[in-house]
Amino acid sequence: ELNYIHWKLQAGKCGLCSSVKACLSACGMACQGLQKGETLASLKRECDNLKKKLEEERGKLNDVELHQVAEKTEVLGALSVKTRRVLKGHGNKVLCMDWCKDRRRLVSSSQDGKVIVWDAFTLNKEHGITLPCTWVMACAYAPSGCAVACGGLDNKCSVVPLSLDKTENLAAKKKSVAMHTNYVSGCTFTNSDMQLLTCSGDGTCALWDVESGQLLQSFHGHTADVLSLDLAPSETGNTFVSGGCDKKANVWDMRSGQNIQSFESHESDINCVKYYPSGDAFASASDDATCRFYDLRADREVAVYQKDSIIFGASTVDFSLSGRLLFAGYNDYTINAWDVLKGTRVSVLFGHENRISRVRVSPDGTALCSASWDNTLRIWA
Amino acid sequence: MQNLLCTNPSFSPVLIHNFSLLSFIYSVALPRMSSKAHSSNNIAHARRTVQQLRIEASIERIKVSKASADLMNYCSEHARNDPLLMGIPASDNPFKDKKPCTIL
Repeated sequence: ELNYIHWKLQAGKCGLCSSVKACLSACGMACQGLQKGETLASLKRECDNLKKKLEEERGKLNDVELHQVAEKTEVLGALSVKTRRVLKGHGNKVLCMDWCKDRRRLVSSSQDGKVIVWDAFTLNKEHGITLPCTWVMACAYAPSGCAVACGGLDNKCSVVPLSLDKTENLAAKKKSVAMHTNYVSGCTFTNSDMQLLTCSGDGTCALWDVESGQLLQSFHGHTADVLSLDLAPSETGNTFVSGGCDKKANVWDMRSGQNIQSFESHESDINCVKYYPSGDAFASASDDATCRFYDLRADREVAVYQKDSIIFGASTVDFSLSGRLLFAGYNDYTINAWDVLKGTRVSVLFGHENRISRVRVSPDGTALCSASWDNTLRIWA
Repeated sequence: MQNLLCTNPSFSPVLIHNFSLLSFIYSVALPRMSSKAHSSNNIAHARRTVQQLRIEASIERIKVSKASADLMNYCSEHARNDPLLMGIPASDNPFKDKKPCTIL
């Protein structure tokens, strides 16, 4: 799409190198073709105009605030949720966890390179995998329940099939699927065990074929490390959202690789993004100590979850089954439950002894699991 | 990622992550790269940004009042099936302790 030809501008020469000939080698470097009358300055002006137009268009539709519409909804009482299980076994910070679709198993990964598959009902450790790298920042359970994916500082994301044979060394069957040029910060299977979506400190997201390791699609647009991604609920089609250190949350079309929507209202790194259960909105958690809620059809931020007393970064968010509650984990060791519609805080969950790295509601909504730098996971219900 | 090595929440050392380190090297330590190449990259970047913004500006949007109403409807339709919201009895929740049996 780049034209390597000089266009003659009004003065009869290329605005970039002053050459009067249309020739690639004339100015020693391929001159990115400028359309007639186009200069760097005119492109920058168009950028600014488009950004203004975007703001105007979004502003026109901002006829009311979400919390105002929600005034007629009943106020939520404090949640009667407390710790029901403490999963001990990791020797270092737990960085990530994911539930299995069977609602009882979960996988967790840690700074010491260990990945553990737990039965959350019985606290039984069903599998343990030792990876050669430290800081396993991402882990995910396959939809079939027969494999897990994990990755981190090794710049890779690998898939490990889970064997029924407890004596088998699972690490030996580990298969590298994703290869990034910097750490892998997040991963998720798509709707089958066959495809893996990853995001990385190299600023990109990527879709991989698990069997062949082939890169199916890459997603470029973030200008800094991507820290989190989430797949849209299956009814809403092939999109996903990502968030990162450029303070942006981007929505992508998985098939074309196109960035379809972008939101920039956070004041610091976005650590986590998560879709609302209907797929029409998503929430984000950021180092700016706020969580925010964006509606995709209104194309704007519709709520900010913040309090003057909350000064530490939020690292993770997840919705309850109906989407009414947003659980957010913070670096001050607490989990806050927010009323998504009214924008108020409903409960604070205390218990962890170090920062929260991940919160996830179980697939049937009966429990919340939290992973922490205090080396444990907790189940709240 | 800045706070990767920080365990104490009351102070945060700034850790320059790879990307900003690379940008720093690019802007300072490569004098042999021609300024024309640099400005060509700028044009390509500006072009891509304009194209991206055109796409974003052209999408169809709905009013926040309508979007909010839809979000509220979804919540109320699914509220009764939300165990963490409603609270479900211990007998239905495998994580909650059942009342212990007393052996007489």
